[in-house]
Amino acid sequence: MGQTNALSNVTLKSVIKNFGILFVFFALVIVLSIISPNHAFAQPYNIINILKQTAINGILATGMLFVIVSGGIDLSIGSIVGVTAVLSAMLAHTGGYPLIVAIVIPILVGAVFGLVNGALVSYGGIPPFIVTLGSMTVLRGLALIISGGSPITGVSMQFEKISSSFVFGIPSLAIYFALVVLICAIILQKTVFGRNVFAIGGNEISARVSGVNVNFIRLLVYGIMGLLAGFCGVLMASRTTTGAPLAGSGYEMDAIAAAVIGGVSMTGGVGKWYGVVIGALLIAVIGNGLDILGVASSYQQVIKGLIIIVAVFLDLRGKRNKK
Amino acid sequence: MKMRKLWAVVLCVVMVLATFAACTSEKKSDDGGSSDSDSKSDGGGKYALIMSHMTNAFVTTVADAAKAEAEKEGVELNVFDGKQDAATQISQIESCIAQGYAGIVVEPVSVDGIIPAIKEANEAKIPVITVVQQISDQSLVAAYVGGDEIKAGELEMKEALATIGGKGNIAILYGPMGSDAQLIRKEGYDNILKENPDVKVVFEQTANWTSDEALKVVENWLQTGTEINAIVSQNDGMAVGAMKAVEDAKKKGEIGIFGIDATPDGVSAIKDGRMDGTVSQGAANMGTIGIETIIKVAKGEKVDPLIYTEAEWVNSENIADYE
Repeated sequence: MGQTNALSNVTLKSVIKNFGILFVFFALVIVLSIISPNHAFAQPYNIINILKQTAINGILATGMLFVIVSGGIDLSIGSIVGVTAVLSAMLAHTGGYPLIVAIVIPILVGAVFGLVNGALVSYGGIPPFIVTLGSMTVLRGLALIISGGSPITGVSMQFEKISSSFVFGIPSLAIYFALVVLICAIILQKTVFGRNVFAIGGNEISARVSGVNVNFIRLLVYGIMGLLAGFCGVLMASRTTTGAPLAGSGYEMDAIAAAVIGGVSMTGGVGKWYGVVIGALLIAVIGNGLDILGVASSYQQVIKGLIIIVAVFLDLRGKRNKK
Repeated sequence: MKMRKLWAVVLCVVMVLATFAACTSEKKSDDGGSSDSDSKSDGGGKYALIMSHMTNAFVTTVADAAKAEAEKEGVELNVFDGKQDAATQISQIESCIAQGYAGIVVEPVSVDGIIPAIKEANEAKIPVITVVQQISDQSLVAAYVGGDEIKAGELEMKEALATIGGKGNIAILYGPMGSDAQLIRKEGYDNILKENPDVKVVFEQTANWTSDEALKVVENWLQTGTEINAIVSQNDGMAVGAMKAVEDAKKKGEIGIFGIDATPDGVSAIKDGRMDGTVSQGAANMGTIGIETIIKVAKGEKVDPLIYTEAEWVNSENIADYE
């Protein structure tokens, strides 16, 4: 009984700590619901829509949570999405390989790319920014090479269903996102590995001294990121029914933005899974809301940028006041 | 042990890169041993095709057709990738001048950016023509071979409006705002829209040429409940994204979907009855006629300064010709 209370207290406290972002999020939702024509924003189908639009960025942002908490950064994920989307569309041709092949192979390939990033960072001693900046370019080139520069079309109906089906009225994309978040939250909060990820990001030297295999943990972190990016490649190919070589361009920035908005510290060691979920939802809500209001693209860019800065500012102020 | 292996790999990569670098600089330092006057007379020699980028189906088609034509004519053709960067194209043109190419076919990255290099080519008496895209001062080059972008925009809008009976609500998906193609195709749209006062543009937004962005934007539009009779997209990739959003919203058949470029993704969507029409600007013809023209110019023959490839409407009736 007492234990349960303590647990809920901890959660409540940390939720309050994120009050700044939650405030911005709900304020935005309420304002958009009121001012959108026919209250289109708050309609059930639009909620489904937002969940679908959050999923891919949300999964990438969850992977980015591991990377940033460990004190790193991964700029290559957009390109991994591109390569694996092309690969997946190639394998998913009607009458081609069984569906499972078009899902598993791209995910594994994504994981391998992630592990290569991780190996270069851990054992090669190259800063993650540089490693992943390089692999971002290499992998985008690879996506263009294997696709011959053209989008791959003609994926099978079953493959398309991966992202377009519903379970009890919930879009499959949202379910994948929820599962990824659930698994990652358990790994980060409840396992030794998860604690070590926080440890190496918080203070690498003391982690090393206390016997944590820093290099190996780091290798796995980038591996997880690559695996999730590969999964997003599959989802992207299924959702757009094409494997476009330029798919995922710039997605690394949205994922980093979602993490940062969600209170993940760029210096490592600090970050919560629910913060990332709110960050990803916030980004999707901004895009969705502004489209519904019919705001022109150039203004959208200005507004998005400002909301990101204001959100993080309020969040930081909220935390400072707590202290 | 592991470290040493890794370093070996790194060294190999560096060596390969260095070889490339050496090749490039060799080309540059080799300042035109062969005089261009003798290669001019017979139209033989080396030709360059400098593309703005090599990352989509359209440019790949142009380049492949050019290569085929060069082979037919028995001339050597080197294809360069301008990587969407004017500075890159300038240095590519400069190295072609230094190597005494017989002629240069360029798809300019921007209308003004590469003019200094074209002036250098003029001084070196190496003929230049532009394909796909004109430069702001076409008098600097011998000819332009390509589509008439305004006409292409006009044709798409005209056919789109014809299918909805000349009245109703349309939504427009643009390429990157402010890019040359976006502006010129829009001019074509506007010309037709002026003549059709019963047509209302209810939404317009950029999706930066990509399917996944278009998918999100159109999903959001469909939420507003505003009636849309047709979605007119500035390329096929975005039209494919729009099509998927319309299908997911179970509105297939209610909203006409139109594109430009007749790239493989658009063509296969029309074949499957999922998209209603696109404009073929004869990408292959641009490559073929481009090479034909530059050889003529190099031989000293007179050519028409504006050679337009025919814009054709592609729909379910004539789709078989485009596969």
